[in-house]
Amino acid sequence: MERSIIVETVSRVMIPFIQLFSLYVIIHGASGPGGGFQGGVVFGASFILYIVVFDITSGRKKLPESVNTVLSSLGLFIYAGLGLLCIIFSSGVGQYLNYGFLPFTANFEENRALGIELVEIAIGITVMAIMVSIFFDLAWKEENRKGGEE
Amino acid sequence: MKGLSTIALILISLLCALFIYVAEDIPVFGDPNSPPIKYVRLFSIDADALENQLKRSVIPNNLMDEFEKRGFPRPFRVEKVTGMEGEWNAFVSKEEIHYSREEKYYWIKKKGDKLNIYRYAFVVRWIEKGQEETGTPNMVTYGLADYRGYDTLGETAVIFTAGIAVILLLRRRGKL
Amino acid sequence: MEWLIEEVFAKYNYWISIILMLIGFYAMIAKDNLIKKIIGLNIFQTAIFLFFISLGVVKGGTAPIVSEEMISKGYVYGNPLPHVLILTAIVVAVSTTAVALSLIIRMYEEYGTIQEEEIMEKSREKGMTGV
Repeated sequence: MERSIIVETVSRVMIPFIQLFSLYVIIHGASGPGGGFQGGVVFGASFILYIVVFDITSGRKKLPESVNTVLSSLGLFIYAGLGLLCIIFSSGVGQYLNYGFLPFTANFEENRALGIELVEIAIGITVMAIMVSIFFDLAWKEENRKGGEE
Repeated sequence: MKGLSTIALILISLLCALFIYVAEDIPVFGDPNSPPIKYVRLFSIDADALENQLKRSVIPNNLMDEFEKRGFPRPFRVEKVTGMEGEWNAFVSKEEIHYSREEKYYWIKKKGDKLNIYRYAFVVRWIEKGQEETGTPNMVTYGLADYRGYDTLGETAVIFTAGIAVILLLRRRGKL
Repeated sequence: MEWLIEEVFAKYNYWISIILMLIGFYAMIAKDNLIKKIIGLNIFQTAIFLFFISLGVVKGGTAPIVSEEMISKGYVYGNPLPHVLILTAIVVAVSTTAVALSLIIRMYEEYGTIQEEEIMEKSREKGMTGV
């Protein structure tokens, strides 16, 4: 496939703005439309745009495989661990995911709002890593793969 | 291939007939009085002298017996709805199971000769008390991450499992 | 004439989602190519999501975000519950499509074709019992 200068230049300019927009959608999910799942998918779409325009091997260099697997488990780990922290910090009184007992501020309702924001960021990280990983697995093509001969 | 197409068309026509039969139960598009949005109708009783007792904020004994007979939790306090005539809210106390403080549970409305008893859908509690309990304005976000946080944990596990399944199926020997 | 307006024209969200649902169901059963079956599954799921969300619309209502100025203008809130449940269902649909596509890639490497009839013949020739 031949390279086209217009497509390459435009995508190089647009990719940072797409990532900034996805960060806006995740964090402003508390006072407007948005949230964790929506922002995570937009963030993953920016990496997929890079892979589609440029080569797949140069796309893999931008997000190596070790970083991909670590990020995909990190979000779930933070979510489940936050629930366990709520039990520990309330010394047995609170339930599993009751964010009010975390010691961020001195107010019960503000702790709940901050807990919701942290959970949204964790969901966004996991969804982004899984989207990029699924796309890599479906689109990888080895040089000497013999498909359909057996 | 021809046989499969005809079987599919027969199945689809049967399903079409079933959907047309069910169509009368579906609420009209955009109806503000449909059951999932505000209330569900329970029963209605005759209102001879009960209305005077309700006006003095006392629950009549006939009403309590009706609630007991049908197995609903009993209210302990009645209050008039501000701004409307002939409508009362009934509250359920905190000794009932599942409630840690008192909640607004029943809606009693006088219509013609009878008293209609409704029960509030629990979405009403989300809409009214969510902002002061969690401090976030967006109803969908605090519904997903705070009131239903356990379901979202399972949801994240589902998408993680899908990524792992694709890795297991499609990666063979050799580095990626 | 009354019932025509009330039953058919006032509930147009139900009829549209029924038509989409039946199109997707037909594509899942009667088509031969495996990719077209997966596309039919996606059309089916989208029709169900559309129907469930349209149950939460209130006439003259605004988005379910708490704000003072909308209340003072006299608007009512829509129902936030269907949005919460459908968000989970969309993620499940994406996961199912991803695993199904990877299974199709493995079947292509094994049999060399993605037409369902040829796959059935080839697996009978290979002597697989129980097919």
